[in-house]
Order: sequence, then structure tokens, then C-alpha cells
Amino acid sequence: MSFFQLILKNLLRRRSRSLLTLGGIAIGIAAVVSLSGIACGFERSWANVYKARGTDLVVTKSVTRSTMPGPFPFALKTELQKMPHVREVGALLSDVFSIEDSPTILVIGWEPKTSLWNHVKLVSGKWPEDSSKGTVALGTLNAEMLGKTLGDKVQIESGEYTVCGIFSSSALAESGAIVMPLPAMQSLSNKEGMVNFFDIWLEPNTSAEETEQLRRSIKAKFDGLTAFNPGSVAENNIAMQIAKAMTWAVSSIALVVGAIGVMNTILMSVFERLHEIGILLAIGWRRWRIMQMILAESLLLSFVGGLAGCGLGVVAARLLQMSPWVHGKLEADVGLPLLGIALLIAIALGALGGLYPAWIGSRMSPATALRQ
Amino acid sequence: MVRARTAPGHMSSTNALIEVRDLRRSFDQDAVQALRGVSFTVAQGEFVSVMGPSGSGKTTLLNILGALDTRFEGAVTIDSVELRHLPDPERFRSRTIGFVFQSFHLLPALTALENVQMPMFERRWRASERKTRAAALLKSVGLEHRLDHRPAKLSGGERQRVAIARSLANEPKLLLADEPTGNLDSSSALKILEVLGAIHQQRNMTMIVVTHDCDVAAATNRTLRLRDGQLLEKQIAPGA
Repeated sequence: MSFFQLILKNLLRRRSRSLLTLGGIAIGIAAVVSLSGIACGFERSWANVYKARGTDLVVTKSVTRSTMPGPFPFALKTELQKMPHVREVGALLSDVFSIEDSPTILVIGWEPKTSLWNHVKLVSGKWPEDSSKGTVALGTLNAEMLGKTLGDKVQIESGEYTVCGIFSSSALAESGAIVMPLPAMQSLSNKEGMVNFFDIWLEPNTSAEETEQLRRSIKAKFDGLTAFNPGSVAENNIAMQIAKAMTWAVSSIALVVGAIGVMNTILMSVFERLHEIGILLAIGWRRWRIMQMILAESLLLSFVGGLAGCGLGVVAARLLQMSPWVHGKLEADVGLPLLGIALLIAIALGALGGLYPAWIGSRMSPATALRQ
Repeated sequence: MVRARTAPGHMSSTNALIEVRDLRRSFDQDAVQALRGVSFTVAQGEFVSVMGPSGSGKTTLLNILGALDTRFEGAVTIDSVELRHLPDPERFRSRTIGFVFQSFHLLPALTALENVQMPMFERRWRASERKTRAAALLKSVGLEHRLDHRPAKLSGGERQRVAIARSLANEPKLLLADEPTGNLDSSSALKILEVLGAIHQQRNMTMIVVTHDCDVAAATNRTLRLRDGQLLEKQIAPGA
């Protein structure tokens, strides 16, 4: 009999309790995997937007109270355009609206005749005319979600819009969005002359140092505005920060419950086996081996629970992704690194949960235990 | 087979495996004095019984000899190792002592073969070697047909034979048995006595048996009699 077989035997002696603990750990880890997967997907979805556009710098308000950055004057574009290395500036105004029976949908107003329109591909119909306030283009996923096609009407707030085009984008956030010209969006959201993003494209051959210098210059020159690289979008997006914070809050609660479950199970199993542990000590088992046995039981339980949790988390993330609130806005990003971290967390839980019971078991007096 | 009884005091200090000098052990802040100045020696290969009424200090003595209790006064040396405040008694037990208990103390979830392998985890033997050794030990106590039986499926005598096989797992120098026949019927007790006698003869192993049974005591080389924590007669060999 190997040491591993002994550990396994000890756990299988109380199958129901071991299974329940395993289930508790699996749920905790599944919460970590699914919620973190969604949060990572949210982050990646936005990062993909800027990647698809080829944007070098994004300018937005540095402080905002809502999930969307607050508006600032479109007129600032002229000054931005004059700054060194700037090739082009494109203005955007975006917001989320509840449209017809669907939950919140992203609506974006792009400045006409800028590179903002270049990265998306028109699948059918045509782009909304610059001067028109009555037409919109739908992303393919959005058209599918709303069940709309060319010529259909879309009710956004109090206005009615005609679908004139359907486009595809490699970024999921755009694919699930509605696009219209900037003036139309300003009118829809009652923010005439305002925008909440400037996308900046720099001249070719602009070095990383020059980009960083420009970023600092923009921040210094325009009070209340900040410029950031598309790669650091998560740090500058309040919605993402909230999503991440909530993910870790919920995951932490689930993990604490899991750790207490492990400790409870292993502690009960140690107290039930005090006599047996006494026998092992009496026949020459050293205290560190008793500790090793109890810790190994805890770690094995957590490892298997972690594996089950990873599987459960992947399924949960897929189900969450298909829910109406999430569908079309982001896709879960459950990669191997996340699963690896989740498994490490599970193992850490096992170590933490097993440490105290292992210490209790290894400190006992064999003579006392044998008398029980 | 049981060895013939030999006269006490046949050993000298040169071949003594156990030396006990002025051993004292009290509990409850000296309210209970379990052992009061016990001194004796046991030679390598000797088979000794310890007798005495309940509360005379037999189990306390056995616990001290087995390094289960190292908080005593006096000196106890086994195989040249001083047991008082021994820093790693488990390591010492693993290498030097084999224990047989009155209540067998087998692990109920494990088979006979697995129970015998348990002490071997402290040796650097591979799993296959542990299994082979355990099977051989069980065969030596006549249980080769009971390898995969759990304790609940074994008779009292068979359980005690498994416990004896387990006590020999790490090839100890000293076997300590606490009332090994105390929970057995006379026929099973006789069988256990034969097994212990055979082990003593074949391995020339030093054995100390705590017992109330005069038949068991009669099968040993020498008997130490305890009363109220003291030996009834001097047990140190001349010249020791």
C-alpha cells in the first residue's frame, strides 16, 4: 500500500462528508472561474475594440461617476489635432440604452469621415448618412439579439430609427452595439457638441517614448481629461473596475466558505480518529508524518474539488455568457492561466484548511489517545 | 512453542539491552506516585514478564519503556539510548520498539496486510517491498489465508496475531506486550503464547510482557513483580 492509497482510503471512509466538502470547494472555485472569466472577457472585449480600430491613444474624462465616462466638448479636438505626432483624431459619444424588450445595449456615435468607420465591415445595406438623424447600423450580434433586419424600425428612448445597415466587427462589444453618426447620437442623448472619447492615431514611426510624452502632455494640457494606451483600458474604465471588484468580493466569500468547509471536514475526521492517530504514533509514526497524512488528505480533497470547480466554472461561464444580460456584450475568457490560478487557489485552500487539524493531530500524546 | 524458564540474574551489564535505575513517575502534581524507585536490567534476548495487581504501575512502566512517556525521574536506557526527555521518541520507537496491546489497536478500515505495513512507512522501503514483508510476517504468525481481511472479520486471536506481526514490521530489538492474552479465550491465549515463544526463540528478541496470567509469566525467563510502584525483589544482575 502506498501513502497515496492510504490517504485515499481515509477520505473514502466518509464518502458523503468528503463529497459534500468537495462540492463546497468546487462551487467556490467555480465562482472564481466563471466570474473572473466574465470579468476578463469584459476587459478583453473592450481591449479588442481599440485593437480593431488601431487606436494609439484614447482620451477621456479622468473622473467619472457613471459606467460611461462623462462628456466633454468636441471643440477640444482642434487643439489635440495640433499636438506633435498626432495624425488623426476621431470623436465618439457612447452610452447604454434599454432598447425595446432587450436589456441595456451599447449605442455609439462615431464622428463622420474619420478612421473610426474603417475597421468595421458592412455586411448588408449602407452606413447611416452623416446628416441623417433617423438611421442606424446594427452590429451582426445586435441584429440577431433584437431580431431586426434592414428597413426595420428600432425604438431608442423616444426616437424611432430605421435600420439602414448591418456590420460586423472583430470586437464583440461593437458586434453587439448600434452605431450612428456622432451628431445623431448627440441629439439622442441631449449632449449637443459633446463627446466622451477621442481616439487618436499617431504618425507612423512614433516611438513608445514619444507616445508616452504625448500622453503626459495631453493630461497636463487638458484639465480633467486623461489619455491612456488601449492596453491599459481596464485601469481607466470604471465599469471594469467595478466588475473586477465584485468578482473578487463574491469569489472571496465563496473561497472563505470553501476553506471553512475543508477545515471542518478535516478537523472532524481528525477528532474522530484521535485513537487511530495515537496508534500510529505508538507504532512509530513520526509527528511530521501524521501532519503529512492529514495535510495530504486536505490537499487531495481540495485538488479534486478544484478540478471539479474548474470544469463547473467553465460551464457556468458559458451559461452566463448566454444569458440575456450578458449575451452580445462580452464573451467569457476562461483560459489556461485562469484555470491554473483557480487550481492553485484550491490547493492553497486545502493547505490552509488542513494546517490546523494537522497540527492538532500531530501534537497529541499517544498514551492519552490509546486510552480513549 | 514456549521456552523453558531460566534463572533470573543471568545477564551482565555488558549485554544488557535495558537498564532502569531509580525510576520514579508521579501524576497529578505528585498526588499519585505510580513508580517509586524501580531499578532492573534486562539482557539482550531475554523474555521477561511483569506482574502485579491493578494500579501497581505496570502500564506506566511499559509506557516509559516504549518511550510513550518520557517525563519521568531516574534513568532508563534502552540500546544505549537514554529515554528521559528523548527529543524524538517516535523515531526511537520506530527503530527499536514493537508494541502489542491488549485491545489489539488495529486500524479498522485497513486489511490485515495493510495494518502490518503501517509501521513500515517510517522505513525507506518501496510499496512492493512493504507488501512482501507484511505478507511474510503474517505467514509467520499463521495468517497467510487472512491477508485481505479487515479486523472486524477476524477472531480475537487472529487480530492479536496481526498485531504481533505488525509489532515486528520494522525488525525491532525490543517487543513490549501489554496483556496480550487479556482479551482472549484460553485456546486463543495459548496460541498467542506459542507465537510469542516462537518469535523469541527464532529471532532471539528481547521481550517484556505485562500480564496477569500466570501461564504467560511461566513461559518467560524471568518475572518482575510490582506492587505499589515498587519491585518486590532486587532485579539487577550481580556486577551490573
